[in-house]
Amino acid sequence: MADKLAIVMYSGTADKFIPLGVLSQAAAAMGTQVEIFVTGFALRGFTAQKQELPFPVEFAAMAPALGQGLQQAKVASWDKMLRQAKDLGAKVHACSMMSEVMGLKLGDFNDLVDDMVGAATFLQEAEGGQVLFI
Amino acid sequence: MANEADAQKTLVDARGSSCPGPITDLAMAYRRAKKGDVIELWGTDPGMPPDVKAWAEKTHNEVVSIETQADKIVAVVRILNR
Repeated sequence: MADKLAIVMYSGTADKFIPLGVLSQAAAAMGTQVEIFVTGFALRGFTAQKQELPFPVEFAAMAPALGQGLQQAKVASWDKMLRQAKDLGAKVHACSMMSEVMGLKLGDFNDLVDDMVGAATFLQEAEGGQVLFI
Repeated sequence: MANEADAQKTLVDARGSSCPGPITDLAMAYRRAKKGDVIELWGTDPGMPPDVKAWAEKTHNEVVSIETQADKIVAVVRILNR
C-alpha cells in the first residue's frame, strides 16, 4: 500500500466534501501521509468568511434526506473530519493560480489551509503516492 | 524494551460514531500508547471489524480479537510497533 495519499480537491459542491473529510481522516488515522491540494471551485469551502456550498442540481431533491441521514448517523461535518486529519498530520495546500483567478489571498483562507503552492510543488509532494481527484 | 508489567489497557468507547470515527479514536489512543499496551475499542459502525484489521496491518500492530456482540463491536488490539 502506498504510504501517501494525495487529494486534488477541485469540486465546489457540498456532497464532494464528504469523501474529502472521510478519506483524509481515515488515511491520516492509518498513519498515511496526506497532502490535499485545493483548487478550482473547492477553494470556496476554505475561505475565512464562510460560504454556503451549493448542492449539485441533479441531486438537489435528495439533499434534505441526505442531510437528515448524515445527522442521524452522527457523521461529523467535513471540516471537523479534515481538522481531525490535520491533527494527525494531514496538510492542506491552496492552489496559487486558482486563488489568484478567484481573487483570494492566503489571508482570505481559514486556518485549515497551511500554505499556498503551485502545481509543481504538489506534484512533487504527491510523487509515489495514491492520487485522488475529487 | 517495554516491561510486560508496565503494559496498560485502555478502553476507547467509539459507540455511535460512524466511519472513520472509530479508527480515528483508535489512532489517537495509539499515539498515547507504548509497546505492549492493549487498546480495547468499542464501536457500533458495521465497517469497524475490517477497518480495525486494515489499520493493524498497516500500522504493524496485532489484532487480538474482534467480537460482534448484540449491542456493540469489541476489538482488542495489542501495540507492537511503537
